[in-house]
Amino acid sequence: MTISFKQIEEKLKTEAKRLLESGQVSVVLAYGKGYDEKHPMPYVARNPSDVANIVFNEYCNYNMARYLVRYPAGTKIAVAVKAADSRAVIQLIQEEKVKREDLVLLGIPVYGMKNPKTQEIIDGKTTGGLYNPVLYDILLGDEVHGQAIQLPYDVLAAYESMDKEVRFAFWKKEFDKCIRCYACRKACPMCYCDPCFIDQNKPKWGDKSPKFHGNLMYHLTRFHHLAGRCIDCGECSRACPVDIPLYLFHKKVARECEEMFGQAAGMSIEDKPALVNFRVDDSDKILE
Amino acid sequence: MLKKTTIDKLPELAAALMEKGTLVAPIKEDAGFNFREITDTKQVDLIFHNTIISPKSAFFPQVEDFVQYQTGKSILEAAPVELNLKPTFLFGVRPCDVKSFQIMDIHFSGTGVVDPYWQKRREATIIFGFAFDMNEVADAAEFYHTLGIGAADPEGSDIFMVRKDDILMLKVITPKGEKLMTGLSFLIDASADEIKYFDDYIAKGHDYKTRYTCVDTEAIAREFEAIFDNADFWTKISDACLSCGVCTFVCPTCYCFDICDETLFSQGTRRRVWDACMFTDFTLEASGHNPRTKVYQRLRQKVCHKYSYHIRKYGVISCVGCGRCTRYCPVNIDIFSIVEEAVKAKWYKRL
Ligand code: SF4
Ligand code: SF4
Ligand code: SF4
Ligand code: SF4
Repeated sequence: MTISFKQIEEKLKTEAKRLLESGQVSVVLAYGKGYDEKHPMPYVARNPSDVANIVFNEYCNYNMARYLVRYPAGTKIAVAVKAADSRAVIQLIQEEKVKREDLVLLGIPVYGMKNPKTQEIIDGKTTGGLYNPVLYDILLGDEVHGQAIQLPYDVLAAYESMDKEVRFAFWKKEFDKCIRCYACRKACPMCYCDPCFIDQNKPKWGDKSPKFHGNLMYHLTRFHHLAGRCIDCGECSRACPVDIPLYLFHKKVARECEEMFGQAAGMSIEDKPALVNFRVDDSDKILE
Repeated sequence: MLKKTTIDKLPELAAALMEKGTLVAPIKEDAGFNFREITDTKQVDLIFHNTIISPKSAFFPQVEDFVQYQTGKSILEAAPVELNLKPTFLFGVRPCDVKSFQIMDIHFSGTGVVDPYWQKRREATIIFGFAFDMNEVADAAEFYHTLGIGAADPEGSDIFMVRKDDILMLKVITPKGEKLMTGLSFLIDASADEIKYFDDYIAKGHDYKTRYTCVDTEAIAREFEAIFDNADFWTKISDACLSCGVCTFVCPTCYCFDICDETLFSQGTRRRVWDACMFTDFTLEASGHNPRTKVYQRLRQKVCHKYSYHIRKYGVISCVGCGRCTRYCPVNIDIFSIVEEAVKAKWYKRL
């Protein structure tokens, strides 16, 4: 089967229009035109007439769940979600940042999404091996079946084969490139803390300058704040202007969490976030 | 004086410059090009479009150490960090970025309050401007043409370079450049044909089109003032904005910084670090009050600073149309489109 981006776009427009006209939602979080075809943008439709600006193509990678917490509690929002994005919504529901009843999820089953910077197909790297949204109210196309998948942790093979020293050297080299623009945390649907620990100065957790210690503090802490919460959308890594492969660390932690607690982030609204849920049969591996 | 060398002899030129001082030039990195201090002559790479981070970092590095001290000791023992600069060669700067240095000069020296760090670095540096390759189409994000900057403007450079296939032509622009060039004896004289090519190339620079729209600074400033309180406009413009630091950090004309004390064990350094008006805590006051809590207020500040307040205060737009902010914005927010939309009715006229 092939994906018709045009068809998804049409359905997205139809549903957005219907939801806004009926007053069921006041905001639709979708994708809109950018300065050229290859650069669409996250787009917010508030009026039925805005719907004409909605687009969907293979470059609409944005995880629109990232914008949910920006609206006052109780705002009725429709949000377009691809597989990973739907997991972010689920995780946000688990963390009580949004309520299921306030949301209409416009599910997009899709593969073949591309990174506009590299033209690389991002499926395997960042959709967690899923092409169909985990949770949705309206599906904007046929479910994808039979399409070859790359499992979420497959890309870890080379990384996991590094020993401790090599791995540290690897991250040192990567973090040395970091300019501390914070696009990674700002693009992340799960990084909603205000203020973020790294912006606090009483106490001050890490240096502001993009030097080794501050960078290490920022990234290692952020990685661990995302433990059991990262839903593998890859937005952090794509947002990074210097291409630091942050997803490697996130996936590694996600894998360990999954092995220890038997649950992946954002897979069911019935779950509790792994790290805030105490169960007597929890793995003790973390203490070893 | 037009001299030339070939691209494969770049390491030779690099070596000669490194002998005289510090060479800062574009090198290829994982995500793209950046200006770096050259340690190996083979690193210099002129086959690039433009760098990710602008060359402002040559004069205004992201981190500048001011004072070193020991915690718990007397302030009298604190020592200022001296800038001991060798002559510096900033090599391969695109015309729009060269122009940005003049805009930055307004803030770092032009107002009468001179920033000694910027000033010293500026004085120690010889700029090798480098024309864009006009055989390649302009990047979709760029619009320097709109701001009256050509693809091959030598103004502001000490030496200006044009590449023709594997030949690199270098022309002296200032006395500072001339002094250096006379010492580079292995460069050879260009032929009459090449001199003509060079001059034609520079003349053609203004015909080369990036995104273009008519600009009347007065009209822009006025329109932005008129819509300052239009929260709907600014909310729509910033719906996608993540409020990160990419656009300001890559921008050649953004100059905000923070001064912080950073200590490791008892060794402390007071340093200047880039800051950005797009950061949530940029305007956070000690009282806890923050006058800009919304994303739209921050994006409005960024755009209006460049396209409104700057015009009113200094008469010029604080943007050179290099397109970096648009190119590296994770959500493709495009300053050109924002300006275009804001003042469409008054000055928008597509050629
Ligand atoms: S850490 Fe990265 S991959 Fe994980 S949820 Fe956040 S943006 Fe997505
Ligand atoms: S986006 Fe990249 S450069 Fe910016 S803070 Fe994150 S890792 Fe560093
Ligand atoms: S305009 Fe783009 S780069 Fe600038 S703060 Fe907003 S999201 Fe970040
Ligand atoms: S605002 Fe954007 S286009 Fe203008 S100088 Fe800065 S980075 Fe370049």
